[in-house]
Amino acid sequence: MHRTLSEEDAAFQQRMRDFFTTEVPQDIRDRWRAGGEVEAQDVRVTQRILNAAGLAVPSWPREFGGQDWTNLQLHIYLQEMQSASVPPPLAFNVNMVGPVIAAFASRELKERFLSPTANLDIWWAQGFSEPEAGSDLASLRTSAVLEGDEWVVNGQKTWTTLGQHADWIFALVRTDPDAPKKQMGISFLLIDMATPGVTVRPIQLIDRGHEVNEIFFDNVRVPVDQLVGEVNKGWDYAKFLLGNERVSVAPVGSIKRKLADAKGFARSVATDDGTLLDDVHIATRFAELEAQVMALELTALRVAAGSKDGKPDPASSILKLRGSQLQQDVLELVVDLAGPSGLLWDAGDTRDGTDGSGREAWTGKAAPTYLNFRKASIYGGSNEVQRQIISSGILGLRG
Amino acid sequence: MDFTIDSEQRALRDAAADLAERHAPDYGSGDVTVGPAEHDAGLWAALAGLGGLGLPFPEAAGGFGASPVEVSLVAGELGRAGIRSAYGEALVAASLLVDADQTDLVGAVADGAALVIPALAEPGRAWSLAASTVAAEGSGTGPDAWTLTGIKEPVQFAAAASHIVVPAQAPDGLAVLLVSGPKVTANGRVELAGAAATLLIGPDTAASALARAVNLGIVALAGEAVGAMDTAMTMTVDYLKTRKQFGVPLMTFQTLTQRAADMYVSLELARSSAQFAAMAITDDPDDSASISRAKVVIGQSGRHIGQEAIQLHGGIGMTAEYAVGHLMTRLTAIEHTFGDTRQHLAALAAHVGDHESVDVLA
Ligand SMILES: Cc1cc2nc3c(=O)[nH]c(=O)nc-3n(C[C@H](O)[C@H](O)[C@H](O)COP(=O)(O)OP(=O)(O)OC[C@H]3O[C@@H](n4cnc5c(N)ncnc54)[C@H](O)[C@@H]3O)c2cc1C
Repeated sequence: MHRTLSEEDAAFQQRMRDFFTTEVPQDIRDRWRAGGEVEAQDVRVTQRILNAAGLAVPSWPREFGGQDWTNLQLHIYLQEMQSASVPPPLAFNVNMVGPVIAAFASRELKERFLSPTANLDIWWAQGFSEPEAGSDLASLRTSAVLEGDEWVVNGQKTWTTLGQHADWIFALVRTDPDAPKKQMGISFLLIDMATPGVTVRPIQLIDRGHEVNEIFFDNVRVPVDQLVGEVNKGWDYAKFLLGNERVSVAPVGSIKRKLADAKGFARSVATDDGTLLDDVHIATRFAELEAQVMALELTALRVAAGSKDGKPDPASSILKLRGSQLQQDVLELVVDLAGPSGLLWDAGDTRDGTDGSGREAWTGKAAPTYLNFRKASIYGGSNEVQRQIISSGILGLRG
Repeated sequence: MDFTIDSEQRALRDAAADLAERHAPDYGSGDVTVGPAEHDAGLWAALAGLGGLGLPFPEAAGGFGASPVEVSLVAGELGRAGIRSAYGEALVAASLLVDADQTDLVGAVADGAALVIPALAEPGRAWSLAASTVAAEGSGTGPDAWTLTGIKEPVQFAAAASHIVVPAQAPDGLAVLLVSGPKVTANGRVELAGAAATLLIGPDTAASALARAVNLGIVALAGEAVGAMDTAMTMTVDYLKTRKQFGVPLMTFQTLTQRAADMYVSLELARSSAQFAAMAITDDPDDSASISRAKVVIGQSGRHIGQEAIQLHGGIGMTAEYAVGHLMTRLTAIEHTFGDTRQHLAALAAHVGDHESVDVLA
């Protein structure tokens, strides 16, 4: 047990830091740091820069562009990326569908999809949730019926994040409505969004943004070879994917980045006798959050969570649960720091956020960002579902 | 950064677990003292035999040349067994003796011949390492060249102590002095009415030596607390599986299993923090900020787990014949030893503006 990084890991850290702070354009990183709606082109440009350097898909198998890094090195990579406010490679591509294709799909599908997926030549969307199938995902109803060499898909997906930018969607569809268990009749299908019969309808969220969508499938014909792995085995692949997703939604590095930025925010707000950072109550909230974030980061390092042998490690639920809580706590602190300055939101059409008012840009983003991230405890398996996984999967409490 | 332990450390931990099992209070018997424990000479001799008492100190200083990581491992096993002892206190005192080059006394502490306890608390005062109402007068480093006047209270385990180390106000500032054969007048009250004392550490270095010593003590307490939380967690999970109400096991009720999951999260955060605390001061004994952060996490987790463990047990958790309540008692005591959550947060809050963020990788 020791704290210091080995010489090799310290050099690795330096290499990552240099790369992220010099190779990814400053204006992209500034926009990402300020937050707000995702600029699709920034994500594309960044992922291609990373991919060219072998840094887009490090946790994939080596033959598809992955790196044989240790868990510590993966942590350092993410930490340095998030600390430099680099837009991370698109999670739907690198953490979700890519690993599923690499682990379960045919050689043809691997050759066809993995390289453009790593390079974000294909932008993927996640088509799991439906209006009637949220936490109880296995009750999904979107159907796929085999007709000749095509699956004919009908139904609706919802909450599809950034679906407005998507070229393709990976969807869970019901291929056997008569299976003895609902989990057994589900398949994992890859669908081109340009196929006739696919319609995307935006959903506005409480932060005023357009981040999620409804997607309707009306007799959408999908070539039979775009089904991943075996028919009716989709649930297994989905569980593998969700285990990875849980880890990727505990972004310790970006929580730390935001908390560090928040100190600057606190310093910029005057009180009657100093700034908000001098206020004992505020300073104590910072101290407590730093202690709790430290504990989260250490736990992430210690449990080395993630999907192993095709099965999600239940320890990843700790990271999802606590990571989402702390992310929300930090944003709650920021909206409190903005106080009355945050009552009006930025107009959203000026990238620098100055919108002609005298208020600092961060104050106009504080409330919508705080509201937006209430999602963190809902998606990726809600926090109640994570507790369920911990209590049954780790503690053996089965009702 | 590496959380794994090597084979020597594993052997030490296993030996500590054996020792703890032999000396663990038999809570189920109902004969265990409720509340603060007395010094247990048998346990202490065994801990000395294990090498536990001098673990982190250099051999040249009378210790065994291991590190705070080993301390944390041993303390964890004590905590897991529900053993309440002066382990943390003794390490704080020994650390000060090491800083004062009291090699012979450190040797006696390590082999269990001497029990040296720090006398830190003062009646009616919040925890502070910065000041003392006890006055020190004298000069030089000769044996018993000083006198101390004032009161330290409560000093746990003082009744059994061969010596106490006392932070006191000397003419030039806070100093640390040694008193042998302290007079304990009542339940943990040490009256120093012109007591003869030996200067250990003068005002120039007393503050940093005290901080270092307490850092080590907190590592011991943090390890112990995680052990205690571990046991409280396991007992609670077992109880939810076996206790039946309404004709079904309690684990049928999701309001309980969801709370058990939150307890588990608290436990794992505490475990990471306790291990990191040990690594942090192995690297840099003066890293009080890391220690304060760990103490905060341990304090919050300990409170959460202690309270919920009792609640999820219902009435049985309240009884003296069941370990969970004793574990909660000990966790509460740990929270108030060597600075509580409030005090450590205040110390951290005073410096939040000094760094951009907390770097655990060094
Ligand atoms: C911003 C955002 C983006 C999203 N992006 C995507 C996406 O890209 N692709 C996609 O497929 N999905 C996406 N989702 C959907 C997300 O995965 C679901 O919202 C989530 O699974 C919860 O389902 P639900 O909203 O239907 O809530 P419900 O399942 O109806 O839950 C309602 C409440 O009940 C609780 N609950 C439900 N079941 C239980 C239980 N058994 N025990 C205890 N409590 C329970 C839940 O925790 C929640 O608090 C997104 C959601 C949001 C908010």
